Amino acid sequence: MPGRSVSFYISLGVVFVYCAVALFAPAIAPFDPFAISGSPLAPPDAAHILGTNDLAQDIFSRLVWGTRATLILGFLGAAISVALGTFGGIVSGYYGGRVDEAIMRFLDVMMTIPSFPLLLILTIFFRPGIYMTAVLMGFLGGLQGVRIIRSQVLSLAVADFVVGTKALGAGDGYIMARHILPNVLPLVGVKFIFSAQHFMVVGIGLGFLGMGDPAVVDWGQMIQRATQNGGIILGLWWWLIPPGLAVTFLSLALAWFGYAFEDRINPRLQVMRV
Amino acid sequence: MMHGACTMIDICDLKTYYSAGFLHRTEVRAVDGVSFGIEKGETLGLVGESGCGKTTLGRSVIRLIEPTGGRVVFDGTDVTALSRKDLRRFRRRMQMIFQDAYTSLNPRMRVSESIAEPLRIHRIEDRAGIDRRVRDLIEAVGLNEEHLNRRPYELSGGQNQRVVLARVLALEPEFIVADEPTAGLDVSVQAQILTLFRDIWREYHTTCLYISHDLGVVRAMSDRVAVMLKGRIVEIGQVADVLDHPCHPYTRLLVAAPVDDKEFSCPVSAGAPAMVEVRPGHWVEATAR
Amino acid sequence: MTTEEPLLEVRGLTVGFPTVDGLVKAANTVDLEIRPGETLALLGETGSGKTVLGMAILRLLQPNTRIEGEILYRGRNLLSLSEGEMQKIRGREIAVVLQNTGTSLNPVLRVGDQIAEAVTLHRGLRGGDAEAAAVTLLDRVRIFDPARMAREYPHRFSGGMRERALIALALACEPSFLIADEPTRGLDAVTKREILDLFSEINPGRSVLFITHDIEAAATLAVRVAVMYAGEIVEIGPVDAVLSSPVHPYTRGLLASLPERGMRPIPGSSPSLITLPPGCRFSPRCTRAVGRCKKEHPELVEVGPDHDARCMYYD
Repeated sequence: MPGRSVSFYISLGVVFVYCAVALFAPAIAPFDPFAISGSPLAPPDAAHILGTNDLAQDIFSRLVWGTRATLILGFLGAAISVALGTFGGIVSGYYGGRVDEAIMRFLDVMMTIPSFPLLLILTIFFRPGIYMTAVLMGFLGGLQGVRIIRSQVLSLAVADFVVGTKALGAGDGYIMARHILPNVLPLVGVKFIFSAQHFMVVGIGLGFLGMGDPAVVDWGQMIQRATQNGGIILGLWWWLIPPGLAVTFLSLALAWFGYAFEDRINPRLQVMRV
Repeated sequence: MMHGACTMIDICDLKTYYSAGFLHRTEVRAVDGVSFGIEKGETLGLVGESGCGKTTLGRSVIRLIEPTGGRVVFDGTDVTALSRKDLRRFRRRMQMIFQDAYTSLNPRMRVSESIAEPLRIHRIEDRAGIDRRVRDLIEAVGLNEEHLNRRPYELSGGQNQRVVLARVLALEPEFIVADEPTAGLDVSVQAQILTLFRDIWREYHTTCLYISHDLGVVRAMSDRVAVMLKGRIVEIGQVADVLDHPCHPYTRLLVAAPVDDKEFSCPVSAGAPAMVEVRPGHWVEATAR
Repeated sequence: MTTEEPLLEVRGLTVGFPTVDGLVKAANTVDLEIRPGETLALLGETGSGKTVLGMAILRLLQPNTRIEGEILYRGRNLLSLSEGEMQKIRGREIAVVLQNTGTSLNPVLRVGDQIAEAVTLHRGLRGGDAEAAAVTLLDRVRIFDPARMAREYPHRFSGGMRERALIALALACEPSFLIADEPTRGLDAVTKREILDLFSEINPGRSVLFITHDIEAAATLAVRVAVMYAGEIVEIGPVDAVLSSPVHPYTRGLLASLPERGMRPIPGSSPSLITLPPGCRFSPRCTRAVGRCKKEHPELVEVGPDHDARCMYYD
């Protein structure tokens, strides 16, 4: 379907632009995001294209630098999450029996604890930096991923080509790496994209609730500052709207990309018949 | 009990039980005390209805399923006593071909990778050696180099079964368990695959356990045939003896022999079922009186 | 023998499926007639077009399929009927025994209820009457203890029993024409023989189109047999003539491929239905092919009494 293909490339393009902005933030941002760069609460003008905030920091520069934090939270969190989910899922589904039983019961216990409140509590206590936050989110998300990957692996583990490779004399590690993993990779890819989207929004939520890393700029903290220091009441749209729109576009682009990617790999999944 | 001097496989009282049903309370005796031998270079056909345990037996013999009891002696080595590590090294001597060639190949691997894999696992050749062997093997099974870059879904059922054979032959196994390898194929393709199997097995003196529910195929492929019923072997012997002069009631049903044929009636046993030799090398399980 | 008015007549039926790779020509100008009370076996291998032909008669093909030609049932062209009229014919006049794939019975409904449903739909019987009719049908297809088995779910049935249930389903309203699609696929020797016995038992006087790849089954059941190759009929005639003295090289090759008849394979493989070979479709694999075979497309010609074949040698 050409329509799907178009949405695939457009959303991929948007994600690329965000990544480029994050990567070249020092070159793109005209000011230091923490520096006092003019008068406070100034509306947009030629020097400050999105105006300044109550501390006289340049909002455009903060927005650009904030991209970095948001993408790190999303992609690092997602990478840790799918790595854990894939490893746990493959081990659990492939070995089955007691190994599977132990992993599943551990997950049952973990699942009873709602993950966002847990994340809040952990961040309140430990005040982790941005990287630690990503690791925490990834870990909690990865626990859920284990089940999804495991259900696929359960059917792969008894597929003839896996049994046949065992009959050739291959070891378990080899079979998991060469036969099971490649066959769950499409699913892992989809999971990575949707996790990234999810973790970005969660990261922004944490920032908004005041749990952000004070050493970095992120969109959540920008929105929090704008709402708490009178951005809405005073009608200072340039303070609040830009980070809001930035989140919305990125999140939409990732969701689109995820769906389009899922469609692309689907025929292959059907072809596999496992 | 019923084999000559150069026995390749000796199976003695092999048992494979499963637990099934609610809370695993029910015990299913898929293979229930099976004994037979296969001589070197011989093909033994194994027939029986679906669910009689023939697939489980085939897999238990090469320990793809762990048997519950009994012994399998392969060329003097007790396979059932091997450690996991030794078993893995031993596996290159005994191989399996499955019913569905398509699902026996990793959908994400090219044909060349699939055929090279066994050589890599056992570190048999260097890279150039593997390439050369893969080319030799693909031609040996009647395909050519252009098939090497394809993936399973780009090939037909018959072509995939050829790839499976090439992959299995890479290790030059002495024993192959073939579990209905042509069940899903058309008659004309089946004839191509079966003649290929037969030629190659003859050339390599491969010993084979050939599982099928198709009597015509078993007759064409085997030297001897064993009939399986509910986890037990009820009749075994030369193909012509068993299929043309069946003794056990189930074999007679299978080959649609006339019911009132008095000449070869099944021996009767007073006690527990036992195997009786009704003719040289033709054994039948005596039915209870 | 041929003077009798046929029950179903297929004339110049051509079926094509558009795909991304091109048009799949699944059936090509197929002419076929089924006479009252006879069993015609449609024999062919994967991709020969035999199943497509059966589904075309019932008009159960995908909506984007291209169909040309005529299918006359009791003189009416089924291809020009409205969907509503066709529904009245399906099940009631022409019924099908579907391929037993494990999904042909609904796994969450009791077998008896599924048969009762068909009875209600076509015969208007309700509640207890429909259930009683379902039990009677299960008894007719020789299911042991039918009253008890009617209350079981499909997973409790063995492969052979499921096949019997599918037959019972097709017989729900005594159709005058039955299409059976590979009813013996995947069954072991004993069960297969029982199902074939059942078929000859339930169908006296009924016309049956028996679609199969199983030569032995065709020989057991059919009066006439049509052999299909690459979307066309290459040989058709009385079962004895076609299976004991076949004329077309493909039929000969197919029979010689049987393990019981020497297991001599036909070289090569069936052509792609998108790019068919010019001339005779079997010519690339035919050991007797001459230059003319590769250029001209042969027509079906009479080679014996009621026996036609599509081969240059008999033109």
